[in-house]
Amino acid sequence: MALLERSEWYDIARRTEWTPGYVSDEELYPEGHSGDYDIPSEAWSTYDEPYKISYREYVDIQRQKDAGAYSVKAALERMDLRSKVDPGWISTLKLHYGAVSVVEYNAGLMESRFVRWARSPGMRNMGTFGMLDEIRHAQLQLFFPHEYVPTDRQFDWAHSGMKSNNWGIIAGRHFFDDMMMTRDAVSTSILLNFAFETGFTNLQFIGLSSDAANAGDFSFSKLIQSIQSDEARHAQIGTPMLAMMIENGEKERAQRLVDVAFWRSWKLFTILTGIPMDYYIPLDRREGSFKEFMQEWIVTQFVNSLEDLGLAKPWYWDIFLADIDEHHHGQQLGTWSWRPTLWFSPAAGVGPDERDWLEEKYPGWNDTFGKCWDVIIENLKRGDIGRTVPGTLPIICNMSNIPIVGTPFKTTQDYPLEYNGRLYHFGSEPDRWIFEQDPERYAAHKTIVDRLLAGEIQPPDLGGVLQYMGIGVLSDGGGDAHDYEWVSAYLDSADAA
Amino acid sequence: MAAFPLAVNFYGDFVLKLLVVDTEHTMAQVAEAATENVIGLHVAGEGGVIRARRSGETEPLPLDMTVAEAGLAPTETLDFYYEEAS
Repeated sequence: MALLERSEWYDIARRTEWTPGYVSDEELYPEGHSGDYDIPSEAWSTYDEPYKISYREYVDIQRQKDAGAYSVKAALERMDLRSKVDPGWISTLKLHYGAVSVVEYNAGLMESRFVRWARSPGMRNMGTFGMLDEIRHAQLQLFFPHEYVPTDRQFDWAHSGMKSNNWGIIAGRHFFDDMMMTRDAVSTSILLNFAFETGFTNLQFIGLSSDAANAGDFSFSKLIQSIQSDEARHAQIGTPMLAMMIENGEKERAQRLVDVAFWRSWKLFTILTGIPMDYYIPLDRREGSFKEFMQEWIVTQFVNSLEDLGLAKPWYWDIFLADIDEHHHGQQLGTWSWRPTLWFSPAAGVGPDERDWLEEKYPGWNDTFGKCWDVIIENLKRGDIGRTVPGTLPIICNMSNIPIVGTPFKTTQDYPLEYNGRLYHFGSEPDRWIFEQDPERYAAHKTIVDRLLAGEIQPPDLGGVLQYMGIGVLSDGGGDAHDYEWVSAYLDSADAA
Repeated sequence: MAAFPLAVNFYGDFVLKLLVVDTEHTMAQVAEAATENVIGLHVAGEGGVIRARRSGETEPLPLDMTVAEAGLAPTETLDFYYEEAS
């Protein structure tokens, strides 16, 4: 029997706009879950998803994707990855899996809320496929690192890290709880699908896919290509919603949501993507600098998509452009310095050749961040590794939950705010602005430093802090990815002798 | 006498750092304590007198002023700098 073309039945099949008889419209779609946007009931059915697919087509495509990813993994399973790739790449994998794998499962929950609470049938339909996508991503990114766990417990953070109180995990959880888990369907589609997924996941999944292949890790390259092909589809859930908001007088709220999500995403990706791209990937395997990826994927493409919708660049655009040059270098210094708090061993990435590359890509690096590395390197040349690890904690931003960093001699500063008798610290003007948009949403949260000072971490010393973070519990903490071998390039012949 | 947390923003450093001092410590003592996790760890250090000022202000706090006398809020950020480098 011949099948109808999808276009002949799709609109009818997904138009599940029933008129409730036993409950009111407000009970069926309560504001907390569905949103309180002032959009007329009849407008919701005009949501037109740009990517249409049937369940039959979806299952067929996904089966092929899974077969591709799993077959590459199976073919390469006997390869001892650690003997084939640079230790910096292993650290990139651990960072990625610890920060991403379980979040994908939570993203499935987010999409499932669209399936139930979205007012538009098209969005509910897209949400159904998005939910299945995210479950697949969680499965893949839990299964792929699992083979490494017996010989390297740090890979277990893929599964157990998100339940820990590690500072990096707290930062990720704070972000995703805010953007993904605790908002209504409309807001979430703008924050997560539009701002986060159309903008920033490209960086992680396309950028790192190239780097993975260059680094010789074809399993991971195939894995994240497979994931990105789903992201490219369900990321589009937010775009028609944005258009609908703008058409119905909600442009100001839409702009504010984009501005909040864009900045929060940027701060997260400075660590998740910025550091690996510019410091962990071996120099001769780098596809480009983080800044170059940012300029291609964000500055150009994301701004185009904003302007196509009639939205403006975020108000802090100039701050953001300056940050692309600077911010992740401070976070690299911080993560490497506090490496015992991590579930992976960061690569320093500051040998003489790497520094030349950094100076070329980021003019002025040697006179700013390089000055701090000079002091570290001098300690390492003397063999004083202990003097390269601070005996205190960094001050953590009450919004991004990552250390408050800046460019040495130029921009390192606090952006404080007193609210209800408590002093909050922020790493930037936009971080503080986000807090001010909805203080009660954020005020009760404590950073790892707040918890230490509140007596929640015992004993209140570095040992107690590490244990609280899961270090020595879930796995050992981090060291230097290359076991300081890179320092030898700085030893002159007399030193070496 | 009580433990008192401050945030240290030392000129030339890349990050703000937690410092716990005593309310009776003078600014000179606080400055000395602030160097522990900065000088020779992330900042080379120039030598000379280190001054502290409230974040965003231009005038330093007197060297003999105590933490209690300064009326600082817990975790308030102090900017530290070598007097010559200001």
